[in-house]
Amino acid sequence: MKARIVIAEDSVLFRAGLARLIEDRGHQVCAAVGDGGALLEAVAEHQPDVVVADIRMPPTHTDEGLRAALEIRRRHPRTGVLVLSQYIETKYTARLLEGNAAGAGYLLKERVADVADFADALERVAAGGTALDPEVVGQLLRASRRADGLAALTARERNVLALMAEGRSNAGIADALVVTGGTVEKHVAGIFDKLGLPPDEADNRRVLAVLRYLSS
Amino acid sequence: MGMTVVVAPFTRRQGRELLFCLAAQPFALLNPLVFFVLAVDLIWLAADGGRGNPTPAQMALAGLCVGLLLVLLVSTGAARWLGSLQRKLADRLLKVQVAPPPPVRRRSGPGPGLRDGAGWRVVAYQLVKLPVGLIELYAVFFWIGGLVNLSYPLLWGGFRNHPPGAQLSPLPVFTPFGLFGDGTFQVTTLLGTFAAAAAGAAMLLAAPWVTRAVTAVDAWLIRGLLGPGRLAQRVHDLEQSRALAVDDSAALLRRLERDLHDGAQIRLATLAMNLGMAREKLGDNGPVPDAAAARELVDAALRGAKDALGELRSLVRGIHPPVLDNGLADALASLTADRAIPVELEVSIPVRPTPAIETIAYFCAAELLTNAAKHSLADKLAVRAAGQHDVLLLSVADDGTGGADPTRGSGLAGLAQRVAVVDGRLTIVSPPGGPTTITVELPLHA
Repeated sequence: MKARIVIAEDSVLFRAGLARLIEDRGHQVCAAVGDGGALLEAVAEHQPDVVVADIRMPPTHTDEGLRAALEIRRRHPRTGVLVLSQYIETKYTARLLEGNAAGAGYLLKERVADVADFADALERVAAGGTALDPEVVGQLLRASRRADGLAALTARERNVLALMAEGRSNAGIADALVVTGGTVEKHVAGIFDKLGLPPDEADNRRVLAVLRYLSS
Repeated sequence: MGMTVVVAPFTRRQGRELLFCLAAQPFALLNPLVFFVLAVDLIWLAADGGRGNPTPAQMALAGLCVGLLLVLLVSTGAARWLGSLQRKLADRLLKVQVAPPPPVRRRSGPGPGLRDGAGWRVVAYQLVKLPVGLIELYAVFFWIGGLVNLSYPLLWGGFRNHPPGAQLSPLPVFTPFGLFGDGTFQVTTLLGTFAAAAAGAAMLLAAPWVTRAVTAVDAWLIRGLLGPGRLAQRVHDLEQSRALAVDDSAALLRRLERDLHDGAQIRLATLAMNLGMAREKLGDNGPVPDAAAARELVDAALRGAKDALGELRSLVRGIHPPVLDNGLADALASLTADRAIPVELEVSIPVRPTPAIETIAYFCAAELLTNAAKHSLADKLAVRAAGQHDVLLLSVADDGTGGADPTRGSGLAGLAQRVAVVDGRLTIVSPPGGPTTITVELPLHA
């Protein structure tokens, strides 16, 4: 799949590197901009499949990237949004997903170093899936009040749960854990059974169910 | 007509001071001693009908009553209110602004309670207000007596124009040494009234100075007793400088975060990305599919690593220059060496200041040198640091254009703030046309 992408990032060097990485993967970079306002304009103009946006950008250097991303999710539901940041803020996750995990992602900037993983996450978001940083999931797991339910899971099942929460498909989980798809399916069924969650086929709805469970 | 001529030479300020002396009179009567005399009289009148002398028991009872009254005045806050009235009076008429004492710490009952120092200081003020108020009354007498004396020749012409031989009662003359002519002199002739007028003129000339002197004493007392008090003032100053210190360190941390976030951190992320891409170009094993691209990416990563290191180095220097560990003299030497404008350095610090003071002095010197280089168009700079007694004096001088102004731009104002945190002072001498000398005075130990 060749995705059409808009990049918003205020560091010139990082922006150039990101554009190169994405083009090397065979996607098309429609525009690369440096602030939230320009991002909204570029999205309106190019209607890309996915946007990669830095959260902290000029002029206020706070969360304009995230606000632009939320605006894009509202105005252009078919454009996926992958926000990048140098730190993880659980509040941002909640604001970004807010009832709909389809076509949304939140990753630490340094994840781009694992080029294949990053490209996979980007493609997932472009296709309407979800990509959450392992750090986000880790924080949710640590802060979760469902310690009892989680304690009932085996170590392997907890790994699978974390990867599910990141937004990976069964095939993706199987790749990451180097096991067969059938094994993953068995684990997933076990997890849903133990946690009392309704099984769902779509990956992004599955993410939301897991996140709701962890944060309730 | 005569009034205006006499009053005209005197300024408004003297009018206000005179008014203050008059307005002070009722306050002078609110005096514990006056209360005591009144209480003794009342009790004596009630018990013995005012016959004989008050007994010691009656006097003790009166003392007790006055004591209770004072306790009531202080604990209900009435004393504070009395103080604030007189502070306002001093503000309006003497133009003496005295800050109110700090508010009472919240307590359960109404009023500030018995242990309100500010209230008791008002009582102390009222105690000394009686003699001061009497002298203020005396000052008022200078004005009135002077005017009356001055008007005698006119009075004589207007009302004493009797045929010769008529028996006239003498006119009493008012002087600072006696009332109604008692102890001084009286006049019985027209010629004599001119002597009285001369005495009046002298009194009117002296009156402003008497008023000035007594109101100055009163203002001094008001400052000392009705103000916040030395300890409270010190606490207030410390609270302010603590707030400055907290703001300063919060701003410093914010700037540090920003510098790291937008500098080294993003450079390292870019570097990791370049290495990640290079790793892809190198392939998993066997021959390298795209060696040229890989090389280029590794080069970019290397550049990024060097840039990140440089940025971290300057950031670290900005936090705490390592050379400061060897003392301020070495640090200033390295700071002033290799400048575009030559800097003459003179250091004599026999006793080493505490590290915090050294750091503040160092950053002051650095900022002042940068300022001088940027704005003064100087050819020569001089830095002097001298430790005398308990004070470190650091001065940065230039032979430039002068006109340095702390209100323009926040550089000098920010510096003054940072210095104030440790009770230091920043003095700027910078006439238009130069030269400029900025001196920072710091305690050796903070």
